[in-house]
Formats: sequence, C-alpha cells, structure tokens
Amino acid sequence: MRVVNFAHGEFLMLGMYAAFWAFTLLHADPYVTLVVAAPLFFLVGWGSYALIMRPIVHTSHNVQVFTTVGLSIVLQNLALVLWTGDARFVRTSYYTSVISVGGAVLNFAQAVAFLLAVAATAALFAFMRWSYTGKLMRATAQDRAAAALMGINTDRIFALTWAVGITLVGAAGVLLAPVYAVYPTAGLQFVLIAYIAVVLGGLGDMVGALIAALIVAAVEVIGSYTIGTAWKEVLYLVLFIAILVVRPAGLFGQRGSEAIGA
Amino acid sequence: MRGALLFFAAAGLAPLVVSDAFLLDSLVLMLVWGCAAGAWNIAGGYAGQISLGHSAFFGLGAYAAALCGVRWNISPWYGVAIGAVLATGAGAVIGFLSNRLRGPYFVIATIAVSQVLLIGASRWRGFTAGSEGIPVPFRPGFWTLGIADKRLWIWIVLALALMVYLVQVYLERSRRGFQLAAVREDEDAALSLGVAARRLKVVAIAVSAAFTAVCGALWAQYVGFVDPLYVFSVDLSIRFALAAILGGLGSALGPFLGAVLVTTLETWLRAEFGGLGSHLVGLYLILYGIALIVIVRYAPQGLVGWLRRT
Repeated sequence: MRVVNFAHGEFLMLGMYAAFWAFTLLHADPYVTLVVAAPLFFLVGWGSYALIMRPIVHTSHNVQVFTTVGLSIVLQNLALVLWTGDARFVRTSYYTSVISVGGAVLNFAQAVAFLLAVAATAALFAFMRWSYTGKLMRATAQDRAAAALMGINTDRIFALTWAVGITLVGAAGVLLAPVYAVYPTAGLQFVLIAYIAVVLGGLGDMVGALIAALIVAAVEVIGSYTIGTAWKEVLYLVLFIAILVVRPAGLFGQRGSEAIGA
Repeated sequence: MRGALLFFAAAGLAPLVVSDAFLLDSLVLMLVWGCAAGAWNIAGGYAGQISLGHSAFFGLGAYAAALCGVRWNISPWYGVAIGAVLATGAGAVIGFLSNRLRGPYFVIATIAVSQVLLIGASRWRGFTAGSEGIPVPFRPGFWTLGIADKRLWIWIVLALALMVYLVQVYLERSRRGFQLAAVREDEDAALSLGVAARRLKVVAIAVSAAFTAVCGALWAQYVGFVDPLYVFSVDLSIRFALAAILGGLGSALGPFLGAVLVTTLETWLRAEFGGLGSHLVGLYLILYGIALIVIVRYAPQGLVGWLRRT
C-alpha cells in the first residue's frame, strides 16, 4: 500500500487483550479465541480503513504518518482508560509446559506461535504471489494510477490490504498473549522490531523481510550472550540505523525503492 | 507579526500583574513547550523533515544540565552549551539520514535514534544513574540556575522563545528560508535549480536539535528531575509535533499558540479527571489523538491558518 501504519503495534496490543479477556471472562483458550478473533479483526481493519484511512490514502506521507500516530495514541490510551495500565497475564494450563525438539527445549506456547506464524507467512506469501487478488494488491502498490486505469478498484484493494494486515497483526497478538504480558503499550516493542525487519529486508519484499527478521533475531540473541540483555536492543537499533545510512533500500531491496511513493 | 508582539508582550508582562504561583508555573511550562514545538517546527514545518525523535535532543539537553550539577558540580549553563553541541551532532546524524530516507522511513529512523538514547540513558547506570533518573540539585543563584522565583524563569524562557521565534521569522523572509521551502515542496526540483538542498536540510535539523536541547536543559533545571523514560520518550516527540501542527505547521507563532492550547487542555483535563489513582489520566491523550487525526485532515494549516481565514 506504501502506507506505513504507526498504529500497527496497537492492533497487536488489542489482539493480546482480546485473548486475555476471552480467557478471563469466558475461559476460552487463546487458540479458540484465534478462530473468532481473526474474522473480527478483519472487520475492525475494514472499518478503521473506511473511517480513518480512506480520506487520506491519497494525501501526503506526512498526513498519513500523523493520522496513524493519532490512531495509535487513541487506541493506547483507550486501553489505558478502559483496562488500566496493569500488566496482565494469560495463564493457560500449559503455561509451563515445554516440548523438546532435538536438544532444544521450547516453551509450548512459543512453539505453537512459531509454527502458526510460519504457516501464516507461507500462506500470505502464496496469496500475494499467486492469487489474482494478490496480484491486484501488488499492482496497486506499485502504481496506483496505472492500476486504476487497468480497471482495478483500487479503493477496494486498499481496504482489503489494510484489513488483511490488521487481521494478521491481531492474530499475532492473540498468539503472543500466552507468552508475554499484556499492557496498553505492549505493541511498541514488537512493532519496532517488525519495522526494522521490513526496512532491512527491503520494502514490499516478503522474503527479504523474513530473512531480515531472522537476522534481527540472531543479532538479538548473540547480543544478549556477548554484551548482556540490557544492551541487546541498542545493538539492533544501531544496526538498523547503520544499514539505513549505508543502504537505505534494505539488504535485499532494489536500489531506490525507498524513494518510491515519496 | 502583530499577533506575535501581543503574545510575547503579554507573556513578558504577565509576571508583573499575576502573582498566583500556579498560573506562573503554567506560563513557564507553556513557554518551554512552545519553544520546543517552535524548534520542532524549524525541521518539521519549514524544512518538511517530520521527526518523531526530537525527544532525543530534549533528553540530551536535560541530561547535560543535570549531569553538570550532579557529576561535575559546574554551572548548568555549561550543560545548556554541552547539550546544544551534542544535539547539534545528533541532529547532523539525523540530517544525514534525511538525505537517504524519505517520508515514513525517515520518521522510523528518528524514532530509532531516540530509542537508542533512551536505552543508553536508562542502562548506563554508572554515568546516568540508570532508569531511576536524576534529581537535579537545587543550588541557589542565577549562575547555577537555582531560581525559586517563577517570574525570573518566565523571562529566561521568554528570551529563548523570542530567539526561536526570530529564527522562524528569518526562515519565512530570507533567501535561505525560500530555498528551504523549495526543498520541502519538491526536493528534486530545488536541486535541479542549484539549491544546496542537502546541506540546507542538515543545517535546519541541526539548528532545530540545538534549540530543543536548550529547552531540555532549562526544563530539567526548572522541574528538577530527569527521568529517561520521559525525556527520551516517543510521546514527548509527539507532543512537540502536536503543538506545532495544532498551531500551524510552518508558521512562526503557531507552535506557541499550539503549546498554550495543549498545555491548558492537559492541565484542565488532568485536574478534572486525573485524581490520584484514577486511570482516566489517559483521557487527555485520547483527545490529543483525535485532535491530531481531525486537524491533519480538515485543518492542515492549524490554528494560525484558521485565524487568517476568518
């Protein structure tokens, strides 16, 4: 879409809260919640697009930045007012269960989140690559005007792309809820890593983002071992800034792609 | 121009008439946030380089002033200078990034810079006292900026406000200012006309950073406590941007009017709903968010633009 959503992390936070409330009030397992929450987030995504994004999708980047930043502030503080700032936890019965694969011991919830994330990424990749709608989305992102001239309903495609993005991030939130604490600003730590992975990998390049995500994770883990957990974030943020200075298109991106749509 | 004269005269004369400590305190904070928003406006409004990492510079200034008192026992005025120099350096780095990145990717990079400083300040316990923050020692005297009299504070901050205002007026009227506007509107076209676009952007961001650091240093001395999670936060950066946008992006007086409005609204809503232990403290931030969304869509010229039209 060539629109950076600064409220992305807040939708992740909403996903985590959805899992928390379903678990606390209805005793629903997060994996059951996922099935219900995903379509719900699709609707939330579609609604937020129609209400907030549609009028500004063709305006300047600065307007888009501030609109999504505004949305992020609203969602964060809505969560704060409604559900207080306390950190909350989803304590499932298998909270302490682990499974061992080879020699490695993995937390059950983390392992499931990993597998589902891999499946979702593969599905999204296939969808963007081979389905007709995916082609329309890529065409619209590359050149709105040309896509519209080819008879693509770009408004619908934008709404759909936005809604799919929100669905995935909401689902990710539900999956992360059994592993991490839930609080109003929980989204920031995840989304910062996500931005870094996307920019490192080259914008609009899904395989690049995947590889970059692995690099960021490796840097984080190696950093925690060598210089301590306190400084690991600095390591990948500095790496991120350094790469932006040296190669702003990202490791695998086409040269100049960062300026597209600017 | 007449509006500005009225505004600054009112702010300067207020201490002679008003003696209520609460009102004077509000006025000092309004002016500090106004200066910070004005400084942000130099980069964000005039140069078109939207940064959400300006708290990095504010924090550098605040820490420089606080550490001068705590670690080296020298005048915080040196801290003002040190903070400004450090921020100019950091501003040059961000300015350099602005030549490599456009739009939202520049915004993310600025956030990353402020986050690096946030983590640095909250983890380097031996030097910055870590995430507990630093209480700034109160040493009476003008040279040590230990001033209990709020009226004096108003005049000190007002001097800074006038400087920020004049820099903005310079950008509105001078040849350099026009060149910067050309860069903002279409960088490629400006470059092709022989405007030194890259250098201009870096200088604008560095100047903006230096002023923000001075605001941070004065703020630290006035408030008396520096908390890394506050002074380097993204929320603070958004606050500068919000005041500038609310008042009018790229107008000299706008950021000050925006800051007055934002600070008043915040104080009122906090007093109304934010009692101790109340979780309604987030209410004013919800209003900020909605204001931001509505203003950039319906009134992109802000308060000043709206006043001019009516």
